[in-house]
Amino acid sequence: MMKRAVSLNVNGEKVKLEVEPRETLLDVLRERLHLTGAKEGCGTGDCGACTVLVDDVPVLSCLTLAVECDGKAIITIEGLAKDGQLHPLQQAFIEKGALQCGFCTPGMILSSYSLLQHNPSPSRQEVSEAIAGNLCRCTGYVKIVDAVMAAARQAVSPVTLGAEMENARQATTIRNQSSQPTVRSTDRRAEGGCSHDGVDQRRE
Amino acid sequence: MQLPKFAYHLPEKLEDALEIMQVTEGEARYIAGGTDLLVQMKRGLAQPATLIGLTSVAGMSGITTSSDTYIGSMTRLREVERTHHIRHAFPSLVDAIGVLATPQIRSMATIGGNLCNASPCADCAPPLLVMEARLTVVGSRGRKEIASEDFFHGPGQTCMGKDEILVGIRVSEPPLNTGAAFEKTGRLAKDITIVSAAALVTMNGDVCQKCRIAVGSVAPVPLRLVEVEKLMEGERVCSELLDQAATLVKEVVSPISDLRSTSDYRRHMSGVLVGSAIQRAIARAEEA
Repeated sequence: MMKRAVSLNVNGEKVKLEVEPRETLLDVLRERLHLTGAKEGCGTGDCGACTVLVDDVPVLSCLTLAVECDGKAIITIEGLAKDGQLHPLQQAFIEKGALQCGFCTPGMILSSYSLLQHNPSPSRQEVSEAIAGNLCRCTGYVKIVDAVMAAARQAVSPVTLGAEMENARQATTIRNQSSQPTVRSTDRRAEGGCSHDGVDQRRE
Repeated sequence: MQLPKFAYHLPEKLEDALEIMQVTEGEARYIAGGTDLLVQMKRGLAQPATLIGLTSVAGMSGITTSSDTYIGSMTRLREVERTHHIRHAFPSLVDAIGVLATPQIRSMATIGGNLCNASPCADCAPPLLVMEARLTVVGSRGRKEIASEDFFHGPGQTCMGKDEILVGIRVSEPPLNTGAAFEKTGRLAKDITIVSAAALVTMNGDVCQKCRIAVGSVAPVPLRLVEVEKLMEGERVCSELLDQAATLVKEVVSPISDLRSTSDYRRHMSGVLVGSAIQRAIARAEEA
């Protein structure tokens, strides 16, 4: 089948390559660019292990055709650390013990990263909702939520504040003053197994 | 899990998309967000020789509001969910999208794709049915507008011809004293719907002037329940009336048993969910 030329910006670097229509973004990242942080768990959009950011939005790279990514900016887990310094989220995952096998971790961190860009001071419920599309089979979700909350607190303190997060924080503060919250309860799983304390706030 | 081989086109104009479909004599499939079609292809359940990507077609994405609200069919669910006007004027649609799959899927999947897939459990369908949305469809024989209740013909089947494309969804602003709500039950909220229900009511004091009810996952198509609407209209809303409505819902639905649920449970829950959707719709009508 005819290949198509695409140019991507991957973690800040411009990449030009020819892709077959059947190649997913995940195929290109892992097999062509050797960025193996994004994982293939299910391959059918259920587990979230392949999550990357496309134009700052978390998507499933296993169900994204590479030919449809021409001109887009991709961020993978490899793009978060800067100058040998882990991103505050990565550091918090280590400090809070928020991973065991690590297979879900890149997706978890990128979903959380996207949340903090838009909402730098989320509630635990908002973190749970943001990672509702990322399945973890070993650590459980409580420590993961702990880590994201810790990273959010740290990022809001001026010492470690990244410029992008600061800008997003100011924008969100302004937005929150003028409108209702934008995220609602969807998933109680993320607070850990069978916990029922968040049961169906939708109906209240 | 690799995709099978296929040819791919990325037209920028609607006419080009239609023409490519004609040239391939219907062997091609249009692809929107891809979150269903690519999964089917990976599993070998769909084997189109050619895909026609609609992501670059001009004018198919975005939301415009004048006297009506028009949602381009290629608008991602995330954008629909986050648009202030939609949140304000059409909260039942926001209810439905908020519990539709996962954040990543909502970033990728489109509102048009959710309808064209024509799953009986499509979460966007019941709210659009109760809002009496009109769907704009374009094909080689021109453009037409279809009532949402005429759109679905069966599981995976719509009224559209093979070459036709759903380009947008038009909904009217709700009149005063109107509220709408969506309810669903799944194993977890994000899972595929076991039963869903949407209600829209226009109230005059405690009398229900206008009522629209739709249910999902309890018939071959997402379904308007006209019998239940007639029962409600012109009546003072009380718990007896809601009980009657729930009983009638259970009589008119025709659910199946599958790996997600039994038909008995679906039948029972359809009555329960219609009742709570009506109550929440009334509460919203009072706030409005």
